[in-house]
Amino acid sequence: MDEKEVQSFLVIFSIIAFCLALTVILLFALFQKRKNKLILEQQEAESRFKEEIIETQIEIKEDTLRNVSWELHDNIGQLLTLAKIQLQNAKGNPEVIEEAITTIGTSLNELRNLSKLINPSALSNLTLVEALQQEVERFNRLKYLNASIDYTDASFSIDNKKEIIIFRMLQEFFTNTVKHSKASKLIVDVAYNNKVLYINAQDDGVGFDTEKVSSKKGIGLTNIISRAKLIGADVKITSRPGEGTQLSLAYKID
Amino acid sequence: MKVENLLFITTLLELVAAILATVHFKKYENSTERYFLYFLWYTFFVEIGGAVIAYVFEVKNFWLYNAFTITSFLFYFYWYSTILEKKIFKRAVLIFTLLFLCVSSISLFYQSWLEYHTYTLIAGAVFVLILTLFHFYQLLNSNEVLIVKYKLSFWISTALLLFYMGIIPLFTLLEYINIQGLSYILILVGLNMILYGCYIIGFIWTKKKYNRF
Repeated sequence: MDEKEVQSFLVIFSIIAFCLALTVILLFALFQKRKNKLILEQQEAESRFKEEIIETQIEIKEDTLRNVSWELHDNIGQLLTLAKIQLQNAKGNPEVIEEAITTIGTSLNELRNLSKLINPSALSNLTLVEALQQEVERFNRLKYLNASIDYTDASFSIDNKKEIIIFRMLQEFFTNTVKHSKASKLIVDVAYNNKVLYINAQDDGVGFDTEKVSSKKGIGLTNIISRAKLIGADVKITSRPGEGTQLSLAYKID
Repeated sequence: MKVENLLFITTLLELVAAILATVHFKKYENSTERYFLYFLWYTFFVEIGGAVIAYVFEVKNFWLYNAFTITSFLFYFYWYSTILEKKIFKRAVLIFTLLFLCVSSISLFYQSWLEYHTYTLIAGAVFVLILTLFHFYQLLNSNEVLIVKYKLSFWISTALLLFYMGIIPLFTLLEYINIQGLSYILILVGLNMILYGCYIIGFIWTKKKYNRF
């Protein structure tokens, strides 16, 4: 190569080398930055998920305690009061004692049921459907409203933590139904279908205008929706004044 | 040793890349990157054919390389149309293909077949460069950015980006600065080393579970 050619070679070589080096550095920096950001986001999401799980479990426990307190007061308490009255009237009237014995037997049965229900080891081994069934049975037993549940025989397993969150979402919906809707009927429908879990819950209460939910009253609803987002479920709450409220949930497992 | 012999390094690299592509084929057979196996062997045989024509028959082999340039760019365009997901990107691929076909057919009709069709190459190179950027944009905006070094498509795009990033200035400057022989071949071989080096890293590093489509 003569000198002139060496020169032109160096020019072209350095231009190309510069272009390539710049590209590599830019690419590397860009990918690294994006990667770090994503990792950070994932960690945050994970810790948020953990917090939410703990919070959900606490809420479920609180609800359970509240339910136990109601049940003791409204159900077993009433039965024992009845037994007491029966026994007070029993002086010189032995047949009533028999009635009192039956009443006390019933309340003992109720007590046993209740204790079985709130046993933590029994609670954690429940499937989602069984847990929902218990809720429905409780509503019927306490005569809050007339509830029914329908489910498919086929099922697939869902991550326990996600199941807890799904259960809590429904529990929150039920609480709203019992507390605010003045409904007399609650229908729950659970379907496991082709890797997707569909749950449909509907009451025939007073309903509300979904557009005009005041922020204070809407806390339960926003909770349900934010929880659905957390586990990647599709949830829709539809309601119109006087036409009841409906929650439909679809959750697809990976 | 004649300087032209340096070009055999390129042929050797092509062979190595093609062999590695065959060996690791199981890892990417379910993705559209599988076409690269055939493409690499095709490249290798074109190179051998070109050498045979030039050294054995001692005639000019530019028509073969012109044909190869056109088919290889069409192949890249097709591959990008399968991996780019956004509609606007897919449409861009279509437009690029049409423009490229225009440029290459103008060259085919108005330029002698006994010389290399530089405009075809530069047009194709610019379009492929843009498509690699689209692909990087797509990777950056997905969760795949975390496992990108295990994705064969990332390495292919990197290879193409760096290779054509070098080829474009080389061939444009070639028109203005008269360089011949050694320096041109050195740069070309260097760029080919980068190109096939990226392919080779890609084939070795890629993992099956990240190459599904």
